[in-house]
Amino acid sequence: MPGTFSRSLAAIATATLMTGAAAAQDWPTGPVHVIVGFPAGSSPDTIARLIAEPLAERLGQPVVVENKPGAGGVIGVQQMLAGRAGHTFGATINGPLTTSPRLVPDVSYNVAEDIAPVALVATSPLVLAVAADAEADDLEGFLELARGGDLAYGSVGQGSGAHLTAELFANAAGIEMLHVPFQSYAEVTTSIMGREIDAGFMAPSAAMPQVEAGQMKMLGVTSTEPFPQVPDVPVMAGTAGLPEDFRAELWNAFIAPAATDPAVIDRLNTEINEILEDPQVQERLLSMGWQAAPGTTEELAARIADDTEVWGAVIDQIEAN
Amino acid sequence: MTMWDGLLSGLSVALQPAVLIYSLFGVFLGTLVGVLPGIGAMAAISLLLPLTYYISAEAALVMLAGVYYGAQYGGAVASILLRLPGTPQSAITTLDGYPMARQGRAGIALFTAMVSSFAGSILGIIVLVVLAGWLAGLATRFGAAEYAAMMVLGLVAASTVGSGRPAKSMAMVVLGLILGCVGTDVNSGAQRFTFGQTQLMDGINLVALAMGLFGVAEVIGNIRSADSHGRPRRIGLRELVPSRADLRQMPGPILRGTALGSFFGALPGTGSTISSFLSYALERRVSRRPERFGQGAVEGVAGPESANNAASITAFVPTLTLGIPGDPIMALMLGALVIHGIQPGPMMLDARPEMFWGLVISFGIGNLFLLILNLPLIGMWVSILRIPFRWLYPAIIVFVCLGVYSVRGATFDIVMVAGIGAIGYLLTLAKFSPALLLLGFVLGPMIETNLRRALLISRGDPMVFLERPIACGFVLVTAALILMAVVKALRHTRQPA
Amino acid sequence: MQRDQHDLFGGGILVALGLAVAGYAAMHYDLGTMRQMGPGFFPTALGLVLAGLGLTIAVPAWWRAGERRGFVGREVLCVIAAILIFGLLLGQLGLVVTTALAAVVASIPAPKPGIVWRLVLAAGITALTWAIFIAGLRMTIPVWPWSL
Repeated sequence: MPGTFSRSLAAIATATLMTGAAAAQDWPTGPVHVIVGFPAGSSPDTIARLIAEPLAERLGQPVVVENKPGAGGVIGVQQMLAGRAGHTFGATINGPLTTSPRLVPDVSYNVAEDIAPVALVATSPLVLAVAADAEADDLEGFLELARGGDLAYGSVGQGSGAHLTAELFANAAGIEMLHVPFQSYAEVTTSIMGREIDAGFMAPSAAMPQVEAGQMKMLGVTSTEPFPQVPDVPVMAGTAGLPEDFRAELWNAFIAPAATDPAVIDRLNTEINEILEDPQVQERLLSMGWQAAPGTTEELAARIADDTEVWGAVIDQIEAN
Repeated sequence: MTMWDGLLSGLSVALQPAVLIYSLFGVFLGTLVGVLPGIGAMAAISLLLPLTYYISAEAALVMLAGVYYGAQYGGAVASILLRLPGTPQSAITTLDGYPMARQGRAGIALFTAMVSSFAGSILGIIVLVVLAGWLAGLATRFGAAEYAAMMVLGLVAASTVGSGRPAKSMAMVVLGLILGCVGTDVNSGAQRFTFGQTQLMDGINLVALAMGLFGVAEVIGNIRSADSHGRPRRIGLRELVPSRADLRQMPGPILRGTALGSFFGALPGTGSTISSFLSYALERRVSRRPERFGQGAVEGVAGPESANNAASITAFVPTLTLGIPGDPIMALMLGALVIHGIQPGPMMLDARPEMFWGLVISFGIGNLFLLILNLPLIGMWVSILRIPFRWLYPAIIVFVCLGVYSVRGATFDIVMVAGIGAIGYLLTLAKFSPALLLLGFVLGPMIETNLRRALLISRGDPMVFLERPIACGFVLVTAALILMAVVKALRHTRQPA
Repeated sequence: MQRDQHDLFGGGILVALGLAVAGYAAMHYDLGTMRQMGPGFFPTALGLVLAGLGLTIAVPAWWRAGERRGFVGREVLCVIAAILIFGLLLGQLGLVVTTALAAVVASIPAPKPGIVWRLVLAAGITALTWAIFIAGLRMTIPVWPWSL
């Protein structure tokens, strides 16, 4: 009895689904769901909501942000793929699209086959932060110290952006450092200030408060241009013997299930890019440590492919050691 | 600027009518939401966070702080009346609060919880005002070695919480430690006991564990018998007020609880869990009749409730003065401030003193609102018990499921509750203490991570635990406690009772 | 003599569980060394300690008399089934149908005969749930089967 009941309900559901899959010009025909793989109040969540609000106005339909946190954002992507294509999208950081399939044994999706890139939203570099009374005052000095003794650095976990960036940096500079994984930048900060560890690659906004208070200093930034939130911090690329193209960036992007109508993806890409042109939106992003980064879906696809390769090589190297 | 100028400027912020109204609103909503099983401070704040996007930063934080205290008290209400704790702190409150309710003293238990929370918060605020600078420094003086040593001490000291055979208590702590291993190992990144489930990568959901072990187990055990026991009659105001004997038992536990809570709260981490377990263990140790604990002792509610509220006040110290949130709730609060363009940090006390002190004062006002609002409501909460249990419990089951779901929107966690609930029932039947399992579960990952981190940083040298003075102190106290327990056990075997 | 079966079985289960955990961890995860512990070190050690504690609980129970507390099988079955229904069907059928089903199943072992009051109760709980979680807290849960 419950079996037939649920089957007939499923039939109703399928029927509404069919009528819902109308042509792209009528899109969206119902509420748009944006699945975020991080908890409420986290930075990917705040960014998704910042975009969702003007997006709802532009689409004339509610845009519902849903938090499905877990496994470094992987669960959010998996939940998005379980949703109804066309009205379910995802807002995610780079990890689940680039490194997680390598690092997490049970990822159920294939990025190239299952996921359609929609739009890049914002990027952020990392800064190399040390305690204010550390002996090194610039990148040269830091590398000298690192060659002399065994320095320890903190990251926000095995395989995190902070960990991989530090390893990329160590490779490029030809140094070796001890990796100490933590769970949050807050823990890394306390540990640096307590002189337990020597350094950490951190999000600029996580390091800023201590830097302003004169308790930490930033020796370099991993973007190829100076980052507006910390304009005085020198770019690492090309200094202290690092290659000219040295770059490590975290990013936030909107994605969709691969089954989504390309016309719908185009429309969404256009809307998001227009939202990112709003100076107020740019300012809000920057106050959280993110720089608006409008672009085409192809550019996002290229970034996913590039990063997968770069970080894949770093992971290979870590695994070999 | 002196502290008094700061306090004065803070007063002008805190007494703005809009801020007062949001504080009241937050406390009210927090209590209502917190009473729902499984919806603790964390979920309540996340649910109500979007409401604060449109108000000023001060009002937002004051409202969220109100939600925090309200939800915490609401959690105590659910724990005392129905044994539905969503956090390890409220699990401690159930140990004596729930037996009190079963004895028809629910009103007194709620009154005790209310007054101890209030006293703990206000005393915590005084500690914060006087010692803010010292407390702020505490966080950076605690490295991995100190945390590991402190957590082990907490675990050993609090293991006496359960009544019954020591081996059974210890087995529950160890089982909790094992369950805490599930998920991604921080130090190596390895997936332990996840069996291919990405939903297990971040570990077992704490709320699912607490709800299954306590709430579901209790419901199962009560269905047959609850309605044949007499339900409490209509309760007059007189029966809500504790007797003079009850009142006399409260100040000591409250003061000791506040001291423990204020200290541990200032350490980023699970200060409020440790301090409420320690407070309970301490009260039992100093009591002249420790056998009353677990049977409805007023001190068993007063101590831990004041400890966890004092801890939740001083937990704001590292959050606001260092920009370092100690736990996920504080991280959420910090996020709320950042959304409003305020970056808390070492500069906040100098750059925005009115903001800092305004918040501190509002915390006090919020707690006052909580007291005023909830004292008259005690009668209403108690009357929940007058609903026949057969009407009540299916609703409890549904609410537990939704409360667990609200944590991270995973139906997987609800399925987990089913399994944990069955285990919880068997544990209760065989008289194993689920509270200790929760303690082990919360502290285990922190002990392991910090122990291994300390050895990693010291390049494998175990002397690090003795060379660092604070860590060494904790190690010595732990050793002394264990020695005392062994001596006591030996004496027992030599002269049989 | 009635042995203390609760401790006997409880201890026995803990021994088995402890050994299983220690065995699984030792086989699957790197143990490391005392100075640099691997991910397997803690679970293996804890599993062995748990097995040891289980023994000290179970063995004395063999010689000790104990009371026997009744196991309420029907209650366990229905409550667990209700939670499973809720967890497994929420994503398929939406909040309203799932809540009603779970409430009916949960109410089966209640000590009062009759189907009507159970249906009324389920309807009441469903309405209350909708009012609190959807209307009040605005939680993002699909409400109806067709709003998935």
